[in-house]
Amino acid sequence: MKQIENGPQWRVTLKEAWPLCLSYTPIGLACGILLHAAGFNTILTGLVSVFVFSGGAQFMIAQMLTTTAPILTIILMLFFLELRYALLGSSLAGYLKGQNHRFLFLFAVSMNDENYAINYLKFVTDRNWTPKDALQVEHWSLLVWTVSNIIGSLIGSAVQINLTVVNFALTALFLYMIVMQIKTRLILLISVIAGVLATFFMLLTKSTLGLVISTLVASFLGFMIESYVSKRWPKSHLLYKIHDPSGQPEVDKEDIEI
Amino acid sequence: MHYDVTDHLLIVILGFFVAFGPRYIPILFFSNRKIPEWFNDWMKYVPVSLFTAIVVKDIFISGSYKFISSGNFDLILASIIVIIISYWTRSMAISVVFGLVAVMLLSMVV
Repeated sequence: MKQIENGPQWRVTLKEAWPLCLSYTPIGLACGILLHAAGFNTILTGLVSVFVFSGGAQFMIAQMLTTTAPILTIILMLFFLELRYALLGSSLAGYLKGQNHRFLFLFAVSMNDENYAINYLKFVTDRNWTPKDALQVEHWSLLVWTVSNIIGSLIGSAVQINLTVVNFALTALFLYMIVMQIKTRLILLISVIAGVLATFFMLLTKSTLGLVISTLVASFLGFMIESYVSKRWPKSHLLYKIHDPSGQPEVDKEDIEI
Repeated sequence: MHYDVTDHLLIVILGFFVAFGPRYIPILFFSNRKIPEWFNDWMKYVPVSLFTAIVVKDIFISGSYKFISSGNFDLILASIIVIIISYWTRSMAISVVFGLVAVMLLSMVV
């Protein structure tokens, strides 16, 4: 209903994607610069941005190339790093029902943490959000990511970057997403638990596999607690809503067909 | 040993497959089947758990997977600022921009 006044589809999706594109620019530049320093040429930097399309993975490739780690080790580490995408795919699949294989292929190829975060939020809160819109958001982020990687590769070592500052663009993006997700006290509790578990499992596994394990455990705990509490004590404080200062009417969950 | 362009290309190609598999297989599997209710209820908690884990990694875990107990005060302070701004404005763009400005200023001071 709102879509009509917002103009063509590319503008609707760009409106959702531009904050992400904004954060991708410095990180993409930094990533291109690091890949250049690791010996990757510009064409390969463009290719890796399109076909791997993952900030974490590309930073890791750059880092491991400078230490000349064996190729098999690099690929295995990449696999563990990318394993978390299985969770993203599983949690979005319900919104992608009825799409053909070609669409699912295209959607999967350019899905990553950040555009997933945007699309998940849109699917949950906006019933007009279509899989096609979601794919366009992915493509905006892919475009900006690839272009800034290539530019980074071209300007190469001419620039000094502060990685801590640049990386924080994505941290801020995820913090925003967490705040948007926290609608009940239970979700807040799960978020805290997830943080503790993530620390524990990452120190234990010494890899991002810890991210996958902690996410599986924390989300399952959330599911268990919710079904237990809502059966036993439907009036429990845990299920209280957290105040939303924007005062926007919340979209009823039942409104959205999954 | 030094890697040449062929090795780099090999990394890109193999990297594509290990990145693509985990993204594609669950989407293909679950979007063509009836998803049980409990699975959806479980997946509902995946985003918040994963995002928190990523943030914790960014702020408290070092590149060699050690806990950063001291330092990173600039990141912690900037994170608190971002949380407050996100909560009140509900705007991703404002949150990210203010977060970046905050961390830039803080990294000079702290």
